[in-house]
Amino acid sequence: MGKKAKAIVKLQVPAGKATPAPPVGTALGPHGINIMQFCKEYNAKTASMAGMIVPCEITIYQDRSFSFVLKTPPAPVLLRKAAGVEKGSGVPNRDKVGSVTRKQVREIAEMKMKDLNAVNVEGAMRMIEGTARSMGIEIKE
Amino acid sequence: MNWIELSAQTDAEGAEAAAARLNEFVETGVAIEETLIPEAGTRFDPARAFTVRAFFAAHQRDALARAEQALWHLAQLRPMSPPRLRELAEEDWAEAWKKHYTILHIGQHLVIKPSWLDYAPRPDDRVIELDPGMAFGTGLHPTTRLCMGALEERVTSGMTVLDVGTGSGILAIAAAKLGAREILALDTDAVAVETAARNVTINRVQERVRVAHGSLDVLTPRNLFDLICINILAEVIGELAPALAGDLRPGGILIASGILDFKAEGVRDALAAVGIALVERKQEEDWVALVGEMKNGQ
Repeated sequence: MGKKAKAIVKLQVPAGKATPAPPVGTALGPHGINIMQFCKEYNAKTASMAGMIVPCEITIYQDRSFSFVLKTPPAPVLLRKAAGVEKGSGVPNRDKVGSVTRKQVREIAEMKMKDLNAVNVEGAMRMIEGTARSMGIEIKE
Repeated sequence: MNWIELSAQTDAEGAEAAAARLNEFVETGVAIEETLIPEAGTRFDPARAFTVRAFFAAHQRDALARAEQALWHLAQLRPMSPPRLRELAEEDWAEAWKKHYTILHIGQHLVIKPSWLDYAPRPDDRVIELDPGMAFGTGLHPTTRLCMGALEERVTSGMTVLDVGTGSGILAIAAAKLGAREILALDTDAVAVETAARNVTINRVQERVRVAHGSLDVLTPRNLFDLICINILAEVIGELAPALAGDLRPGGILIASGILDFKAEGVRDALAAVGIALVERKQEEDWVALVGEMKNGQ
């Protein structure tokens, strides 16, 4: 096969609702990806998760074939749930909307470990903490 | 309907955060693109390696303004380019990707035709109808083209052929169109098996091509094939060499592709060790295909 990745595109689209319109069409079309096939596969695999944003990572090869994997829900979604808030802060460096404990951060880090580019759980926790700060969510001991 | 694209460049974590904020303002989702190979003349900058894009319909100006503001605030915390706006005309995205494909001629007679294009074949043409999709092998990659060229030269009428790692099924279909009598196409990937089976039917060679899930170990009892093609990777070919030799009749042909040129010697040696002697080496860009012949008496 001699597969060599040409590009990686991540899409965060509503489960079961991918269509050829933006962002799917605009992200994949220029790579010559069979859009309808992608939408069909994505929707079939995410049908049971309706109402959630399910991220997926699409790897595009030199011959314009592709593969994709579904990921765990985005860290901000998990953080919002852990903090019990509906939205992140619009002005995260000033207005805090809530807090999570280090234990919760560790749980999220462990859940997302396989999707994060971290060598260990501590590294993953630092990433999750960074994401929390960008949303105006504080970390409590 | 026209669309407005809002985009910003940032680092890995910034991309997650920006995508989360943008998802609060759009219902259609967001895209994150990662730069793997920087454009010519630019330096790779990890703080700008991710581009986040969200799309707004023209009547969503309010949401757009709030999304822009949200990105501005994020940029105070993360390395991030200023948000960029771009207007996009509505187009038929379900069809637009197809313009990347044309009729492809390979070797003397092989022609690959996407299903949506018309082609009037010349008398000697062997036309393969193939739509690009998830499985590897659209004829656009050198490894596939090298294999097809070798198949055209080596397949003779009535041969039995084994295709290991069939992907889209392109090589098995080509072998059938070139006159092979019986072809077994194998792949360890279930998506590929499904795609290959569909392509075999579209090309109406299902009576001669059988697609099966698995690798060489599914061959029980072992058949001796006239020709085996394997378009995977140097390491896999090296590993499978003894099994490949066991499935090839004396005088049978092996076409091995998917080999980067600096690994070709290693593969040649691995094949020689099991009695398959090199008869031809083909190269395109940095990819090599080796054609070998099974010596008698092995």
